Amino acid sequence: MALEIRNLTKQYNKHKTGLSNYSITIERGILGLLGPNGAGKSTLMKIIATISKPTTGTLFLDGEDIVKNPDNIRKILGYLPQDFGVYPNLNAYEFLEYIAALKGVGGPDLRKRIDMLLDGVNLTADAKRPIGTYSGGMKQRIGIAQALLNDPKVLIFDEPTVGLDPEERVRFRQLISDLANDCIIILSSHIVSDIEAIADEVAIMQNGALLEKGTQPDIVKLVEGKVFETILDSQQLNDLKARHLVIDTSRQKDQTRARYITRNHEPEAGSVAVNATLEDAYLFLTHTKA
Amino acid sequence: MKYIYSIIKADYLQRTRSYSFLITLAITIYAAYSFVPPPTASYTTLNVVGYKGIYNSAWVGHVSAMMTTIMLSLYGFFLINGGIKKDVDTGIGQIIATTPITNFGYLLSKFLSNFFVLLTISVLTFLISIVMFFVRTSGSPFIIGDFILPFVFFAIPALFTVSALAIVAEVFLGRKLILQYIIFFFLFGALMANVVGHKSSTINTFIDTFGVNTMTNSVKDKVNTQYHEHIDAVNLGFTFSKKHRFKTFEWDGISWTGVFIASRLMWICIAFGLVYFSSFSFHRFDFKQASGKKKKAMAPANISHTNGTFAAGINVSLLPPVVTDYSIFPFVKTELLLLIRKGPKWFWLVNGGLWISMLFVKFDIAYSYLLPILLFLQVTRWSELATKEVTNRLHYFTWSSYKPLQRMLPSQLLAAFIMAVALALPVILRSAAAGSVYSVVNIINGAAFVVLLAASLGIVTGGKKLFEILFFFFTYLITQKMPLADYLGALPHDSPIGLISIMLMLNVFLGAVSFSVRSWQVRHL
Repeated sequence: MALEIRNLTKQYNKHKTGLSNYSITIERGILGLLGPNGAGKSTLMKIIATISKPTTGTLFLDGEDIVKNPDNIRKILGYLPQDFGVYPNLNAYEFLEYIAALKGVGGPDLRKRIDMLLDGVNLTADAKRPIGTYSGGMKQRIGIAQALLNDPKVLIFDEPTVGLDPEERVRFRQLISDLANDCIIILSSHIVSDIEAIADEVAIMQNGALLEKGTQPDIVKLVEGKVFETILDSQQLNDLKARHLVIDTSRQKDQTRARYITRNHEPEAGSVAVNATLEDAYLFLTHTKA
Repeated sequence: MKYIYSIIKADYLQRTRSYSFLITLAITIYAAYSFVPPPTASYTTLNVVGYKGIYNSAWVGHVSAMMTTIMLSLYGFFLINGGIKKDVDTGIGQIIATTPITNFGYLLSKFLSNFFVLLTISVLTFLISIVMFFVRTSGSPFIIGDFILPFVFFAIPALFTVSALAIVAEVFLGRKLILQYIIFFFLFGALMANVVGHKSSTINTFIDTFGVNTMTNSVKDKVNTQYHEHIDAVNLGFTFSKKHRFKTFEWDGISWTGVFIASRLMWICIAFGLVYFSSFSFHRFDFKQASGKKKKAMAPANISHTNGTFAAGINVSLLPPVVTDYSIFPFVKTELLLLIRKGPKWFWLVNGGLWISMLFVKFDIAYSYLLPILLFLQVTRWSELATKEVTNRLHYFTWSSYKPLQRMLPSQLLAAFIMAVALALPVILRSAAAGSVYSVVNIINGAAFVVLLAASLGIVTGGKKLFEILFFFFTYLITQKMPLADYLGALPHDSPIGLISIMLMLNVFLGAVSFSVRSWQVRHL
């Protein structure tokens, strides 16, 4: 199974471009999308989810044009948008039955499937309450359950861990990993550690363009040998910022520990080389390749 | 004072920058054009039983101002209502609550913002009234005062009053929208009762919110004096008649007496007073304090969400296999559920009472009063029919589902149609029993019209207001026996077949608009 995106452009108006000549091939497994706000992640996901049409470009799923025939992917799509809502007067059962109808899922075992999904996201006890009374995390969990109703082969999660507490995030990552064997999962997040923990491949985006795509080791390799840590005072920190890309700082009494990436391979005196991470690579790419 | 100005400005811009407002302006332009009908038109907007005024500055200026005042007071309430609710829904209210602004300051800014929205529309009708003067008259002198003064003395105090009533309604009735609408419906009827038929007197001048009683009396007196008549009635508003020949009279306007001006100032003061006294009961976005009972149930703290996290997770391989079913009946069921659950449960008692009444009261009363009112009472159900997906941010799911246009929209329309027909069933059965096939078809056509109008306007504007305003108009005008608004066929018509055909064509048109616009929307989020 492969999703082939070729030269996709989304032009909202003269001054606003969502995606610019974007090409990528997504295969079975988890693709993590990283990028700052406005990078085009949500635009890309909306186009794949068929709720937004590209201005130009093509999108094929196993050779089928899903821009022209969106219903082909809709049958096997699970989508969790970033800012979704619910009908507050419906309870969890009714809501999932409704979403099942949307997805064309029925049959005698539907109730059992809904029961198991609700159990899986730990909402059985509250399943008969109106969803309008749910907390943010509970709504997010019902969003996850609805995405799985139709046994999807393409799963799109836009900022899925927003509203989940740390324990829920870990569970969610586990769930995603379990699903990845059988389908294409596209996952966007601002939390690099979420992507780092589960993504097979990572695509880094900025200003509607793809900066880099590859496996995590491939991406991290881009900054290997360039990441250092040093301890300095506030004046030295300003000088460091002028010369290098400072990734992180933490105060230690009167001094500051700084993690930075060299732009010219010449580390500051007294610096210690450290292992590069996905976050280092992401920040490096978005600051140097724009 | 500066912060009040900033709130007014932001609120005004927020309300006026919408498709719904643009369409309202377009309808206003058409309405203002129709306030001054051509001599050959089959209707008048003001006549004194067989007599109508010659078009001069005074007539065009006063009649336009009078019609603007009454019409804008009628639908203005619906247009401006919801300013505080918007702050609740967006969460802005909680930020406002933490600022130093006083309750009165906040309500005053909302009140003035309401007023400026209505004023914008009335300024538009004022300008069109001048254009219409030049279109409809030739050689008559143009006197600008005849246009400005009626707008100032009729419209402005009335608009202040309606703006204040919207604030009072929101403060005291909160989210009980339908109750607000019902109360305003009857209140407006009561206020209108003061406009015509009352003799000139100081007390009558003061109790007339719109200020037009003085004008109707002046017009009536002019006819009675000139033609030695003893006419006591004035036809105000769109009055249709086959009679095209009216005797004419020249009317020079009313004299703006001190009593009249004092009465208008009194209504402005009443408006400010209403806002001031409302501020003592304003919840300031503290809903536990304002309506503790309801919010208690809404508080997430009361929910028994076990330990609040995923339990054992989901083992996808253990889930029962998916069976496909693309029928629309599950949607229809859910849409019906959503329609039924909308609004407070006790409201179904009112619906039930009216429904049963329609079985037993005089047929004409059931058909031309109770049925349109019962359908109007469901206005908030109809108005969100095709907007609720977006307002509840569920459209991401619905529009990315399998064949959303062919399955979702028909289900919504069908569910609403089933409900509308069920509500109209007593009148349908009585019509059928009386052998009136036309009535049965008209009612079914009318039920479809309500549903399709709500859906199409909701889809096109993305909001509920325009439909709510129009539906209020239709209902009010039917109860006033105005054939033009008779979407149910409840009033006598020259050609029943003609009405059925027109409504059918209108329904097809509205359906086509709904489907074509939604078809575009589902792919252009």
